[in-house]
Amino acid sequence: MRYINKKQIIFSSIFFISSLVAEENLFDEDIENLLSIKTELKATIGSRDGARDYLTSNSPVDVITNQQIENSGLTSLTDVLRYFVAGFNAPETSIADGSDHIRAYTLRGMNPDQILVLINGKRVHTSALLHVNGIIGRGSSHVDLDNIPLSSIDKVEILMDGAAAQYGSDAIAGVINITLKGIGYSNKLNILSGIRKAGDGKQRQSDLFMSIPLKYDGFINITLDMREQNPTQRAGLDYRLEVPRVTTHVGILDSKDYKAILYSEVPQDNDINIYSQLLFDYKESKASAFFRPSSDKSISLYQDGFLPIIKAKITDSTILLGVKGEIYDSISWDLSNSYGLNHFHYFVEGSMNYYLDANSPTSFDNGSLNFIQNTTTLDLKKDESKFKIAGGVEFRYENYQIKAGEVASYIGTGSEGYAGYKPENEVNKHRHSYAIYVDNTYNFTKKFVFETALRYEDYSDFGESTNGKLALSYKLTPTLMLRASGSTGFRAPSLAQSYYSQTSSFVNDMGILTTQGTFRVDHEVSKSLGATDLKSERSQHVTMGTVFRPNKKTSLSVECFYIDVNNKILLTPEITATTPEQQEVFRKYNVSAARFFTNAARMTTQGVNLKINSSHNFQNGSNLDVGFWYSYSKNDNKKSTDISLDGSNTARVLYEDGQPKSSLRILTDYKYKNIETTLNISRYGSYYQMLNENIYKFDAKWTTDINIAYDFTKNFRLSFGGINIFDTMPNRWDNLDGYLYGTNGIEQYSRYTPFGYSGAYYYLKASIKF
Amino acid sequence: MALFKIIFLIFIIFTSLNGYESEAKLKAVIVGKVAKYITFQDDKGSKEFVITIYKNKCANTFDNIYKDVKINNKPVKIVYIDNIEDLGYTNVLYISKVNSATLSKILEKTKNKNIVTISSNRGFAQKGGVIQLYFVSQKLKLKINTQSATQKNLKIGSTLLRVADIVKGDKV
Repeated sequence: MRYINKKQIIFSSIFFISSLVAEENLFDEDIENLLSIKTELKATIGSRDGARDYLTSNSPVDVITNQQIENSGLTSLTDVLRYFVAGFNAPETSIADGSDHIRAYTLRGMNPDQILVLINGKRVHTSALLHVNGIIGRGSSHVDLDNIPLSSIDKVEILMDGAAAQYGSDAIAGVINITLKGIGYSNKLNILSGIRKAGDGKQRQSDLFMSIPLKYDGFINITLDMREQNPTQRAGLDYRLEVPRVTTHVGILDSKDYKAILYSEVPQDNDINIYSQLLFDYKESKASAFFRPSSDKSISLYQDGFLPIIKAKITDSTILLGVKGEIYDSISWDLSNSYGLNHFHYFVEGSMNYYLDANSPTSFDNGSLNFIQNTTTLDLKKDESKFKIAGGVEFRYENYQIKAGEVASYIGTGSEGYAGYKPENEVNKHRHSYAIYVDNTYNFTKKFVFETALRYEDYSDFGESTNGKLALSYKLTPTLMLRASGSTGFRAPSLAQSYYSQTSSFVNDMGILTTQGTFRVDHEVSKSLGATDLKSERSQHVTMGTVFRPNKKTSLSVECFYIDVNNKILLTPEITATTPEQQEVFRKYNVSAARFFTNAARMTTQGVNLKINSSHNFQNGSNLDVGFWYSYSKNDNKKSTDISLDGSNTARVLYEDGQPKSSLRILTDYKYKNIETTLNISRYGSYYQMLNENIYKFDAKWTTDINIAYDFTKNFRLSFGGINIFDTMPNRWDNLDGYLYGTNGIEQYSRYTPFGYSGAYYYLKASIKF
Repeated sequence: MALFKIIFLIFIIFTSLNGYESEAKLKAVIVGKVAKYITFQDDKGSKEFVITIYKNKCANTFDNIYKDVKINNKPVKIVYIDNIEDLGYTNVLYISKVNSATLSKILEKTKNKNIVTISSNRGFAQKGGVIQLYFVSQKLKLKINTQSATQKNLKIGSTLLRVADIVKGDKV
């Protein structure tokens, strides 16, 4: 009874407060004040009916603004989302081959290939890289968010709901829409320099945003971004050596990144607007494999052992051209074509091929991965006062290629650290798909909004998929809105998942060269183990929540969600032949172990998102913004079979417990006269990793970030701050006695660590507007 | 339970604060506000300050805002029209989103008339409108075509010119 009374008091208070909302007369404000008032934050994602207050969306949407990004001192979009979005996870990995070079990320605990990424509402192509190591995001290819210069971004919208019925494949965990800066932004130069508390990991970054105005509010916006990142070193001593020393690189990798983006809109006299988005990114990065101690195999070239360095040269480009216009006053149309290319080229340096002994080169060209996506879209939209109807058609072409490396990189045992792609790994596969979709929003009354979406797609390789979405919102009072949505979704298996293969060879105990690695699903070896053609992942989503706005600067939203993904595609561990039939096939190809992609699991994700945003203008003219965001999500495999497929719990732990289930972000920004202070506190929940058949727990941790900026003039700002300023470090492996992974081993921290293990980072940043 | 208490406490602390404004409301306020900084040469001795809304898409926002407001010591009268041929005497004409052909017609109709034309249509100021409204980073900005204002015999005060971007004719 006592508890019920408490609840009654709480809810009565909320309704009492909401009844106190008073309309002030804005007309009494002077013009300068009116122009400094912030309007509602708008988002376009989640519905095709145009920009609207993100809190009134039928589905949960959140927005990160360019001011938040600028006040963070962060230099990559993946980090921005990691620090601002509870439920977004992006661990930093080491000694994970290609995965060290393009960071995987998850949303609500779900894989990166279940997140659709858009720029200005247009689909972005994924990277050619497929994560095949034991990292968060294993088995997926995804958009490399770090290709986009932060200074070009106006805001980032995150839809926390399934939306395949609106946007097509991949929109299962959510949709990230990056809106680029349009008209009205000042030219700006940023120069940043930072360093880790440990004295390493120096970072130098500079970017330039320039806007050239054109007739009728047209513009050409150009952003250039350059970043140099020195490595951090958090490796333990190598106790395999007689005199232990640090031999391997563990930490943030050494990289150089050059980005450019051109975004233009050229309005014509007749309501036609020609637009383009040209993005280019070139990245070079170096990560290490484990150190190879001196041995008979390497003595011919390396007396004291050697450290293979895996080098990646990654080129990414997008050319999007479009034209949009209006027919009459209420029908708009938009025709665009986007060509995207990602090229990932592997090199290995400081290594050797044991098979070639003294004749081995020490540097290798290990081959490359290539992914091309071309999307042509026509959108139509009719806007009436009571209803909005949108629809369109889309044609998409995709091409995936693997090109072999030089012979020395794969012959025999191949280059140490990372063996080159072999001619038998080479592939050049393509597919196409078309889609037709319709999205309708109907305002029954001022209080009740009803939205439906339906999308049909046909893929040349795996067939058709029809998905629907139904979303409702109802304003119970002027301050309290209830909303719910239900939808179906799908994710087409990527071409990489269907056609990727990489095998390496080694000399077994009997002195025979034998092969193991990743095999295509259509390979006889995979088929002998039960592989079949991949089917699309199918999902169902339910989201229910409420938004409470007791006044215009305070909002509370709570959303509960449940997602059921059937036919979840996983990469198996390396499996050996057990039956006579399997052994015969393995012998035929001289294979000792194989892994392949398969529709292995039925995963459910359920959880809750709670967010409070508030802003306060004090009488002294200062302003305080506070955001409180808590996210909880739990993944479960509902299939009775062991998703690890080898009797171990490795995959179960990775997918169910490898990420924090809960996360919390407290974001504050205080501005007074020329000083602006940003203080962000994050909590990352506990997580687990399995190694050598044992499960290890890593504790929840808090981190704190701060940025203090001073405006010397209207056009010159100096900022200093730090990320993880109290130098929070994750737990080391608990009582794990291993040379490579262990409490005192080379890699002492889990590669699942959600906030990295490089410690505190401090920076100084100058911003000049001109 | 402890977490719930913390959330509730934070919530209560921040429930007596000022508000974000909707774009529609702020635009509606500015439409009349800018008129305070403009001298009308030809007010025909009207007893009311007239604001005409072409194709109203803001429900009764204008009525609510200008119910008890006076501009230039005159009570404000809000007139709604859906056809430019219905345009009568007005001090301010606010034009909602329309296509280029309609906009050209409206600008032609109001050419050389002592009327402040205001709109958030793209390129409005360069196309001959007097004041264009647009939003950047959640803040309202103004563009004023001083040449159009002069042609319409409108004198714009320095306070307003100071806070606006100036467009001269159709130049970028």
